[in-house]
Amino acid sequence: MKKALTILSLALLPSASAANITVWTHFGGGELTWLKDQAAAFDKKGNKTTIVSVPFDQIPDKLIQSAPKGQGPDVIVTLPQDRLGQLASAGVIEPMDKYITSKTDFDKTGLTAMTYQGKLFAIPMFAESVALVYNKKLVSKAPTTWAEFLKVAQDNTGNGKFGFLADLNNAYMNYGVISAYGGYVFKNTGGTLNTKDIGLANAGADKASAFLNDLRYKYNLVPEGVSGDVAKGAFTDGRLAMYLTGPWDMGDIKKAGIDYGITAFPTPPGASGKWSPFVGVQGTMISAYSKQKVAAAGFAKQISSSDAQLAFNKAGGRIPVSLSARTKLKSDPVVVGFGKSISAGTAMPNVPAMGAVWAPWSAAIAQSVQKPNQDYKQILDKAVQEISGNIK
Amino acid sequence: MTAIPHPPHSTVRSTVPPEGTRGVLLAVLILAMMLGGATLLGWLLSGLTARIYPEAPPYMILVYVLGILLVMMPVVSRLFPWIVNWYYLFPALVFLAAFTVLPIILTVNYAFTNYNAVNSGNPDSSLRTTATISADKRVITLAETPQSQNVQEYLRCDTPGCAGATLVLFDDQASVPYRAKVASVSGLQVTLAAPFTGPIEVARATRLNSYTYVGLENFREIFGKASRALVPVFIWTVVFAFSTVIINALAGLILGILLYNKNLKGRNIYRTLLFLPWAIPAVISVQMWVALFNQQFGIVNKGLGLLGLAAVPWLGDPLWAKISVLFVNLWLGFPYMMTATISALSTINDDLYEAASIDGASRWQQIVNITLPLLRNSFTPILLSGFAFNFNNFGIIYLLTQGGPDQQGREATARSTDILLSWGYNTAFASSGGQNFALASAIALIIFFLTLAISLVNFKAAGVFEEARK
Amino acid sequence: MTTMPSQDATPPEVYVHQEPGVLRKALPWLIIAAAVVIVGVLAFYLNRNMQGRPKSFTIFFVERGWVRFLLFLLAASGVLALTSLLGQRIGMARTGRKISYSAVLGVQLTHLFLMLVVLVAIYPLFYVLIAAFDPRNSLFAFPDFSNPNILYKTGLLPRLEVLSYENFQKLFEGVAIPLWQLVLAGIAGAALTALLILAMIARAGRESEGLNQTRSWIMRVLIVALVVLVFFMGPSQFGGSTNESKFLLSVRNTLLVSGITGFLAILLSTTAGYAMARLRFPGRFQTLLFFIFIQMFPVFLALVAVYTLMVLLGLSNTFTGLILAYSGGAIAFNTWIFKGYVESLPESLEEAAMVDGATRWQTFIKVVIPLSGGILVFIFLNQFIGTYAEFILANILLTGVEKWTVGIMLLSFTQGQFSTKWGVFAAAATLGALPIVALFYGFQGYFVGGTVSGGVKE
Repeated sequence: MKKALTILSLALLPSASAANITVWTHFGGGELTWLKDQAAAFDKKGNKTTIVSVPFDQIPDKLIQSAPKGQGPDVIVTLPQDRLGQLASAGVIEPMDKYITSKTDFDKTGLTAMTYQGKLFAIPMFAESVALVYNKKLVSKAPTTWAEFLKVAQDNTGNGKFGFLADLNNAYMNYGVISAYGGYVFKNTGGTLNTKDIGLANAGADKASAFLNDLRYKYNLVPEGVSGDVAKGAFTDGRLAMYLTGPWDMGDIKKAGIDYGITAFPTPPGASGKWSPFVGVQGTMISAYSKQKVAAAGFAKQISSSDAQLAFNKAGGRIPVSLSARTKLKSDPVVVGFGKSISAGTAMPNVPAMGAVWAPWSAAIAQSVQKPNQDYKQILDKAVQEISGNIK
Repeated sequence: MTAIPHPPHSTVRSTVPPEGTRGVLLAVLILAMMLGGATLLGWLLSGLTARIYPEAPPYMILVYVLGILLVMMPVVSRLFPWIVNWYYLFPALVFLAAFTVLPIILTVNYAFTNYNAVNSGNPDSSLRTTATISADKRVITLAETPQSQNVQEYLRCDTPGCAGATLVLFDDQASVPYRAKVASVSGLQVTLAAPFTGPIEVARATRLNSYTYVGLENFREIFGKASRALVPVFIWTVVFAFSTVIINALAGLILGILLYNKNLKGRNIYRTLLFLPWAIPAVISVQMWVALFNQQFGIVNKGLGLLGLAAVPWLGDPLWAKISVLFVNLWLGFPYMMTATISALSTINDDLYEAASIDGASRWQQIVNITLPLLRNSFTPILLSGFAFNFNNFGIIYLLTQGGPDQQGREATARSTDILLSWGYNTAFASSGGQNFALASAIALIIFFLTLAISLVNFKAAGVFEEARK
Repeated sequence: MTTMPSQDATPPEVYVHQEPGVLRKALPWLIIAAAVVIVGVLAFYLNRNMQGRPKSFTIFFVERGWVRFLLFLLAASGVLALTSLLGQRIGMARTGRKISYSAVLGVQLTHLFLMLVVLVAIYPLFYVLIAAFDPRNSLFAFPDFSNPNILYKTGLLPRLEVLSYENFQKLFEGVAIPLWQLVLAGIAGAALTALLILAMIARAGRESEGLNQTRSWIMRVLIVALVVLVFFMGPSQFGGSTNESKFLLSVRNTLLVSGITGFLAILLSTTAGYAMARLRFPGRFQTLLFFIFIQMFPVFLALVAVYTLMVLLGLSNTFTGLILAYSGGAIAFNTWIFKGYVESLPESLEEAAMVDGATRWQTFIKVVIPLSGGILVFIFLNQFIGTYAEFILANILLTGVEKWTVGIMLLSFTQGQFSTKWGVFAAAATLGALPIVALFYGFQGYFVGGTVSGGVKE
């Protein structure tokens, strides 16, 4: 009875004093526990935080549908920049410049990635890119040149074992190679992206497709049907020397007790530039339809603080964008290893047009490695045609 | 015609409904008025409730409508006793109207617009700018027009004066958007059609990314790209639906006939085991096949390796992926066809076989001359409904291949194993389609008409119309 | 329905040997020839497709393994030919009747064939079942080339010595179930097992009145236990931090949604089906056609509209909204099924009741419904099972792992962007399939009859 009365009196209280905020997150395991701890600390100040788990790839679509109807969250933890422009144009995320007073602790790349139309739409949390992860038992010294790499890979291939694997069908994973040969998504001139100038079918991109095809059919390293989780399975089983992956697999690798090292993929043969993978930055956003924007921004700021990011790294091993947190993690091999490839990387575009790129581009990359010796130029030209058609 | 017994007491009002089209129209009119009246009353009542108890949930309208209908039904049936017949259909009709017909009407409407994730009728937050309002609350001055040369371009108006366009106004917090109609623009000043009356201090403004009617544009797009999407997808849909039904039926027939053999000991054990693929929900078993079909590590290829056969790219090659879809659908569907065969066989009189064997007909002749002709009667509707089901069998495609693998010369939303329905789904809900709800709605309309045409032929063949009229 | 002259070709009651026309005779051969050509062309293209593909180095190849396999089949057939001969002789000596050798051999070869079919059809399930106990989180077969055992060498058999309950533990991490719920679950499980056993006994041909009575009592216990369990289990009992630890909750959600949807399906379709079958009034035929055709619209492409509607009603992200959306979807089919069933009932019973002064409605409630037990069970089960496996609508309308149904949960294991959890999937698939498999086998009779007569497939 008493409890019921308390609830009743709580319900009757004016809502302004206690902020009720809803948080959508795709975190799981240790990272979710970390978020719950952060929410508990936030709730001590008189707020009430509800955490809802939503799968990563569904957050943008669900947000676009539900936020304008008042069904969405107040805070989203976290999304990468490639859908940022679309979310902003759809009007579901709120510019955060006025809530963020100090930006000095954040990595520049992180802030740039989260800025669209000159407005900061999210507080960066962590960055990620792919790198070459190798098994120290099988690879005594990390290869630095293509020749070394090829030798190590071929020596380890055969008899149910693999020298090198990668998900060749995946455009995101293989952007490093494409950019090394001179391909690009949108021409970047002094920080502005020209969505009319798509470089995914230029001469360099053709060469990159040929190289990816060679990895499968000429060097016989990556057989057909290898996906990211196959590669991870083989690596944690001790049958794989090197593979291309991001920080997200490190938990399972550590659990399997593999003695690993992290390094950059070597410059592919005949490439004009260095291997430069896509860098994704994930940030905390607040909904444009939130009724509690100050509280929501407060929570977003709290979980992006240097200490919180340090704890976050301990929970899930991601690479923080807080400079001071990164300094404190100098001795962490994962942070250092992926940190290198992040600084060598290219930021993923964050303009809405990026939404039109992924599917045709991925399809073209997947087609390029389906059979030996294909007409890469034709495949890529078709994809770029479709992309331009969809951008309008 | 069944005779309707006349009630003992005869009233002036006829219990016999008016005949012909007039009767149908009258009944529909009465039902529509009942439903409309109840909805109107329910809406008013729920509005009233919301005013008294602001916490009342919006679905109270459903409760009210149902309650009002319950009260109305006996009253109306006094006026028109024959309407009672329709009351039996009422629950189904009301549900269909609310949860099927209404969404369909909305969807048909979307098919002629450019509705998508961005053009969703909501304010744009990336183009928001600071704004001030004049003392008479009629003139808004924008600080800038991001990404646009002038206000006309910013607001995307059709006319230079921008009359009728919508400007969205916010306070400093930008929590609740207020929409205001524009009368005219000059420079950075926007004059509203009426003084702004919202309870906020205007500090920010933005435009509305509204959707507009584009006529047949979506259909033009579909048919313009027909060779890259509609045509190949439609052909594969028909080929898939047709061949999967034939293959399943053949497998089911063979197993069914083998298992119906009374001399076969332990046939119940075989039946129980072979029943298993049917009993497991497809959402579970199809995903299982994805792993088993992996080209390098799946047990299917490991098993083929044991036979010395090459590793097949089951899900990695456009042609093989089609074979995989057919194979998995066979695995899912043969138990049903087998069971159908067995139960159809058990209705055949054994004397027929005995007579035949006395006449000296061999087992094969018995199957060809007795079993198959008799099975045809019970198999025709099963095959036709199987075709209709597989025509829109989204589940297996989505779960097994997600439409993939990619194929040259196709749109990214219409890949090598995509059927019509999964193509529409990709367009609206997958990242590859950019959430183009309008285009997906147009695709839905096309699918509807195709399904309708195919079903009409099917129904004619299966005698559904006769059975319905009966 | 009896007054109408039947238009169906009545099946011949006696065997009449008819000499078919030339075309009729040729037709089967034409079809067979066409099929052979199609298969040949397909084989040609598939074979060409395989040319130039590098040989896999992860798969253990037994050179000419298929020759060995064919030899094995030949040898097995030979042995069977011998044993059949033996069996035929012994049988004839015992019974003194003439037994045809080809019949005995045919039965033996049928056994061989069926065993192979069962092996191919069931082995994948067995493999997944084992993978559920494999802690390496993978449904993939990693071969062990150095192992002498051919099954391990190819990877066809998972390594049995490493098996553990780890995947299942993940599903139950942080789940708190009070004792009374455990007891109820135990009762429900026991009741289900008993039903399965009864179904087996019935299949063995020992059907009796007492058996039926026991069965209906067990069914009541099962339903009560499940209903109490489903209604009183809640999200607060699931404290785990991962998505998979909410698996049991998703099962509970699915049972709740499917159960109510199944019940609503009966409510919505019986009256309509009865009216379509028995009442005659203008507009009946048109309404039936409307029912059938309106449901040909691919409603899940109207999902955006359904979502908008649910938001308007304040029912988005609620089970109520999902149930309502599902219930609209199956009306036509269920009405059709029930209509067909009522038509098969003798009309005289209803007429007798009405002569006794019962109204139409009373007749429907007191005469028709009590006779329709089987078909109602079928409608319920069919709806229940269909809803259990649905995931698209649920995924759009429901947000947050606490609201997930089994379908969404399983999908999240296999379609995660960079983290596919095959081991957990296998464990969850095993547990999630159990209730439906049990229902299928427990109610096989209802199910087979209803489905086959409805000509439907789920």
